[in-house]
Amino acid sequence: MTDFSFLADDALVDALIMEIAGLLRRLIEHGEAGIIDVLGLPLPPSCVASLEQRLGHGEVTVRLDAAGASEIRETGIPGVWWTRHSNEQGRLVAMLIEVTFVPEILKANIADVVRGAERLPALTNVALRARGADVALRARGAGRPHDAS
Amino acid sequence: MLARCGFGRRGLLKFAIAMTSSLALPPSVAPVMAANLAKAKRRSVIWLSFQECTGCLETLLRSSSPTIDQLIFDFISLDYQESLMAAAGSAAEQTLREAMAANKGEYLLAIDGSIPVKDGGVYSLTGGRSNLSMLEEVAADAKAVLAIGTCAAYGGIPKAYPNPTGAVGVEDLVSNKPIVNIPGCPPVPEVLSGVLVHFISFGRLPELDDRKRPLAYFGTTIHDQCYRRPFYDQGKFAKSFDDDGARQGWCLFELGCKGPVTHNACASLKWNGGTSFPIEAGHGCIGCSEPDFWDAGGFYTSLAGGSATGWKSAGIAAAVGLAGGAAAALSTRIATPLEDAPASPPEKTPPEKTPPDKLP
Repeated sequence: MTDFSFLADDALVDALIMEIAGLLRRLIEHGEAGIIDVLGLPLPPSCVASLEQRLGHGEVTVRLDAAGASEIRETGIPGVWWTRHSNEQGRLVAMLIEVTFVPEILKANIADVVRGAERLPALTNVALRARGADVALRARGAGRPHDAS
Repeated sequence: MLARCGFGRRGLLKFAIAMTSSLALPPSVAPVMAANLAKAKRRSVIWLSFQECTGCLETLLRSSSPTIDQLIFDFISLDYQESLMAAAGSAAEQTLREAMAANKGEYLLAIDGSIPVKDGGVYSLTGGRSNLSMLEEVAADAKAVLAIGTCAAYGGIPKAYPNPTGAVGVEDLVSNKPIVNIPGCPPVPEVLSGVLVHFISFGRLPELDDRKRPLAYFGTTIHDQCYRRPFYDQGKFAKSFDDDGARQGWCLFELGCKGPVTHNACASLKWNGGTSFPIEAGHGCIGCSEPDFWDAGGFYTSLAGGSATGWKSAGIAAAVGLAGGAAAALSTRIATPLEDAPASPPEKTPPEKTPPDKLP
């Protein structure tokens, strides 16, 4: 006898695929991103695994280290990303399907970029040598470089 | 401020994503929540402990969740908590007065423990003042009151029959302030962090149910979210705590599980950093987040009123493992012959007083 028990799970997976298709249409036509909170859905683990397997793997996988590890992976459908966020104890705290060109969390923030730009000159050879001389002179108690002449 | 504490924008956004998921908010709200948290002013919290065992505070502090000890304390200023603060005596009282004055009308008041009102509230005093008097004074200028734990929410164990101190919950005394009940004995720590983050992010309390509980966490029963639920639907029930059914994860309904009538997030958020929850450890839910749970019938009496064969050994083992008064209290609960137990004991019916040596 054929076992049709998989059909109930398949109906849930099909419904999610159709929702993703709708979000993709909105992204293409209006440039609007969409997100599905997978952990918030009453799905059995078998359903989640089936959906992830059907969406497949794309070209991009990113590992993020911010308050714990995250994996952001583009699926086989460009513009559809499968994201797993874990906390510092390694516990999964969020699992999302993001329908967007680039997930928001990957983009650098303007305030961070400004702070980085301010720090950059200090990384030149001139700055590093000056700092090294400053540290060496201070260790000998000679004060700052321009005072040492 | 957050950058100095080691939380970059991505870490904050990730935290907001996890919190929106936990609060059942649309994931698209996460960037807004992160932006609001980044610029939010630290919210003053005054925490008063009344007739309680300190279990609520312990569980919150010892939570492995980073949301409590690594993030929440960057968003709130815990200005008064007698067990945690360094100050004592008159210096502590001065701290309380200063915090209230500096944040008048804006601070959150957190309460753990019930409030005894019998005989003018003389059964629980702090610095010579009754809990009742302190609650009246401090709640008057609070923005909202968080009743943390079943004792603060509904009276809890101090209110259990015969309730010698006249213990009541916060909502029995405070009527002119928004109240959030976060029941549980102890409560799930992530629920408190969710409520605080929602309040700090959006300036308002999350949606509540008819018992003033956050709907996102108390909207469904333990039973609805339980991984053993499919076995209930199939009619597969463990008959004792060590039979084949129990080993195969069958439903614990017949062993007294109160999951079908208990609203809480244990089955989804779980405990100890998401490790497990009581049903996953093999014991039925005792319904600790519901009002009057201690007087609502035996822990090993099924909601249908019957009993499985394993309840006696389990009850005796539990009683042997407890000392003194606790053992006596438990034994009175399990001493009632379950075959005669009513399907749903009257709410205010006191338990039978059978001495411990009369265990069946």
